[in-house]
Amino acid sequence: MTTVAATSQAAHGQHDDRSFLRKYIFSTDHKIIGIQFLFVSLFFLLVGGILAMQMRWQLGFPGKPMPGGGILPDTMAPGGVILPEYYIQLVTMHGTFMIFFAIMPLLVGVYANFLIPLKIGAHDMAFPRINMASFWLAFAAGLVMLASLFVPDGASRAGWTQYVPLSARHDLSGASYGQELWSISIILLGLSSILGSLNYITTVINNRAPGMTWFRLPLSIWSLFITAILGLLALPVLSGAAIMLLFDQVLGTHFFDPGAGGQPLLWQHLFWFFGHPEVYILILPAMGMVSDLIANGSRKPIFGYHSMVFAIVAIGFLGWIVWGHHMFVSGMNPTLGSSFMVSTLIIAVPSAVKTFNWMGTMWRGNLQFHVPMLNAVAFVAMFVIGGLSGIYMAATPVDMFIHDTYFIVAHLHYVLFGGSLFALFGAIPYWYPKMFGRMMSERWGKVHFWLTFVFYNLVFFPMHILGMGGAMRRIYDPTQYDFLKPYQPLNVFISICAFLLFATQFIFFVNFWWSLRRGKVADQNPWHDNGLEWTLPNPAPHGNWTRVPTVYRGPYEYSSPEVAEDYLPQTRKLPTDREPASAPVAGH
Amino acid sequence: MTHATATVDEMRPPFPAERGLDVYNLKLGMWVFLASEVMFFSALIGSYVILRFGAAGEWARPGVVLNIPITAFNTFLLICSSVSMVKAYAAIADGDQRGLRLWLGLTILGGATFVGVQVFEYLHLVERGFTPAGIRDGSELAALVANGTLPAATAGLYGSTFFTMTGFHGFHVTCGVVSMLYLYFTKVLPGKYSRQDYRGIETVGLYWHFVDLVWIILFTIVYLV
Amino acid sequence: METAHKRPNYILIWVYLALLTAAELGLAFQLPISRNWKLALLLFLAVWKALLVALFFMHLKFERWNLRIMALIPIPLALIFMAAAMSEHIW
Repeated sequence: MTTVAATSQAAHGQHDDRSFLRKYIFSTDHKIIGIQFLFVSLFFLLVGGILAMQMRWQLGFPGKPMPGGGILPDTMAPGGVILPEYYIQLVTMHGTFMIFFAIMPLLVGVYANFLIPLKIGAHDMAFPRINMASFWLAFAAGLVMLASLFVPDGASRAGWTQYVPLSARHDLSGASYGQELWSISIILLGLSSILGSLNYITTVINNRAPGMTWFRLPLSIWSLFITAILGLLALPVLSGAAIMLLFDQVLGTHFFDPGAGGQPLLWQHLFWFFGHPEVYILILPAMGMVSDLIANGSRKPIFGYHSMVFAIVAIGFLGWIVWGHHMFVSGMNPTLGSSFMVSTLIIAVPSAVKTFNWMGTMWRGNLQFHVPMLNAVAFVAMFVIGGLSGIYMAATPVDMFIHDTYFIVAHLHYVLFGGSLFALFGAIPYWYPKMFGRMMSERWGKVHFWLTFVFYNLVFFPMHILGMGGAMRRIYDPTQYDFLKPYQPLNVFISICAFLLFATQFIFFVNFWWSLRRGKVADQNPWHDNGLEWTLPNPAPHGNWTRVPTVYRGPYEYSSPEVAEDYLPQTRKLPTDREPASAPVAGH
Repeated sequence: MTHATATVDEMRPPFPAERGLDVYNLKLGMWVFLASEVMFFSALIGSYVILRFGAAGEWARPGVVLNIPITAFNTFLLICSSVSMVKAYAAIADGDQRGLRLWLGLTILGGATFVGVQVFEYLHLVERGFTPAGIRDGSELAALVANGTLPAATAGLYGSTFFTMTGFHGFHVTCGVVSMLYLYFTKVLPGKYSRQDYRGIETVGLYWHFVDLVWIILFTIVYLV
Repeated sequence: METAHKRPNYILIWVYLALLTAAELGLAFQLPISRNWKLALLLFLAVWKALLVALFFMHLKFERWNLRIMALIPIPLALIFMAAAMSEHIW
């Protein structure tokens, strides 16, 4: 019996007569779901930014009334002066929104959904309806988290890391419903993430087009695949921990209550066992997309493709055994601490391999500094700085001094903003034409890039100095300490640059929204990229291909001697190419 | 544009680019999901192990608080339902619709009874004074705490871990029963499964066996140790 | 379509599972051996039962090696986590 695989997806390549509601709101189409994640996540990115601006106001001008602060309730900011109780909510919610509702969904929710089926040659995800459920769960989680800002006593006050007992006991934190809503939101988000991950993993394993072997996958897909595995295995641990926390909060259980035999350190172990793979979830997709962007911008194949793949896998693997480096000063077993130091230092190696490979890709390439390339190159530079500060922190004796200082804040913002967000600033305009059929403005993209790059470094680099000087994280008023008073001018400088940085982002937002309707209509393959998605019209139709393409080569055949053009798409058949072992059967 | 009219084997993976894992999407998806469930239960069960290992005082002896005979019966019941599940799978692999209906029906019955017994167990425990927050004052078990049979220092943890682990397991069993009921009425009774395509049965079967597997571990380390 | 293999005797596996459960119950209450040995033996019996379910009912014995690896991956992660957190209380 000839075994012909059926694509049991919904009607593709046929006349699309779904209602508006089914097409754009309750859609099972991975591209629409990706775009839904994009719109919602950009909103939460804005929310996170607004929270940060309030924090910077307080840090730069402690005790002074904030412009516009009059709209805040008196329990939080009487006369516009931010209270400590409100400040700690800002800190907690800034971290929570940025990590869980902005960066993670922007990297994974948007690009895993949008790119995976397109780049591997599938009609859609393996489980389209589960995909839809994943989005709406994330959306609901976001609403719950947003609601926590407006309930009596406000939002959670325990930091995004929710250390017990502050997170478990209302009498200690002063928050009430806000704490529970945090836990509930995260449980919902965990479920959304797990469902998404299982979709991405199944699709990449099973639904690749003929000829799309593992080592012909673009690095963006490799990184999203490994990220999905990390998410699949790490988020359930967070869900379990959040459930135990919620039970301590409302059911009177004693998981983390030392008075009844519970262990506060257990929370830290659970949280960081999730938390460390989480930070690799936040960087790997960025690295993968940057690889695609740099190869394209250099018009050269990626240097060391195989080692790039092994580096991604190594980071994903090692990421499970380093979590204790977040707990060096927690009082945990020192021998355990030493073993975490060793594993943390080792994990720098695959990242370094990737950095050298990016540089090797650019070396003697025909460099095109379009907006995505500018942002991708900035990613590499900023990630190196973030990674170097990471080496400092990995050494336990050093971390004893700089833990919970602004040195850590500098590090995390270099990798999350300098890294992940710059990668997004490159990825969004890059795949914008495939999503919306138009180009974002190249000129305004460049203005946005340079202003952001300058202000961003002016904001976060000085934080290394602040941290070395002993400035603690999360404190409300640095000037209350004599040893920090000399650093206050630096805080003022950082705050002013932060306001300018935030203002600059409006250029990006306006560019994004304006170009939806008024951007230049895009060619089918404006970047002359080799990926499968560029063989489709803009925007890509429901079901993607009427006939699944066949893949003949890897994704980075730029400046190939075999053709006149400086790019050679994966699906283009040359006379010297042979059909892959499993050739498509007629009708696919 | 039409599909080829060649025979389609739904039970093979869609695009055999390489031999790979050799499983169709639904089955692969379920295994992937089960991997995440292992991590979830590991967080709960691992926490129990860590808490108990690090507890300063003695833990209650088996059987003092919990009812072993009833739970042993429940364990046996769940194992039987696992057997009936795999018999249902074997039946439809042979094309036996009647066998599928019989064995899957028995599985649903077994699972539902398990949940029922567990609810009864919970009610009884709460009545005796055992709650997630610990031992209730003035209850039957509080007397055992007073006379030293039940260590006071760890009683709170005992309650917290017991109800959370078995509660979430019971929740998973319930979801399994509901899923099987749904499939029973929408696919099994109308005869939509066949020897050529019984993916849903195999997939829900994997989930059901997993739930049984977790219980096998839970029963031992919560009730017997 | 089942992969070509002789179908296991499910009823026989069921008998093994029942016997192992009975052994566990007996061990938990009757045998006068030290607590640590009891714990080790009970865990051993539980893992044996779990393996029977995984290998035969879930057909892992007859699947490809890479599916088995995929199913097993979470276990070392769980063990590493527990070992690390428990080491707090050893020294």
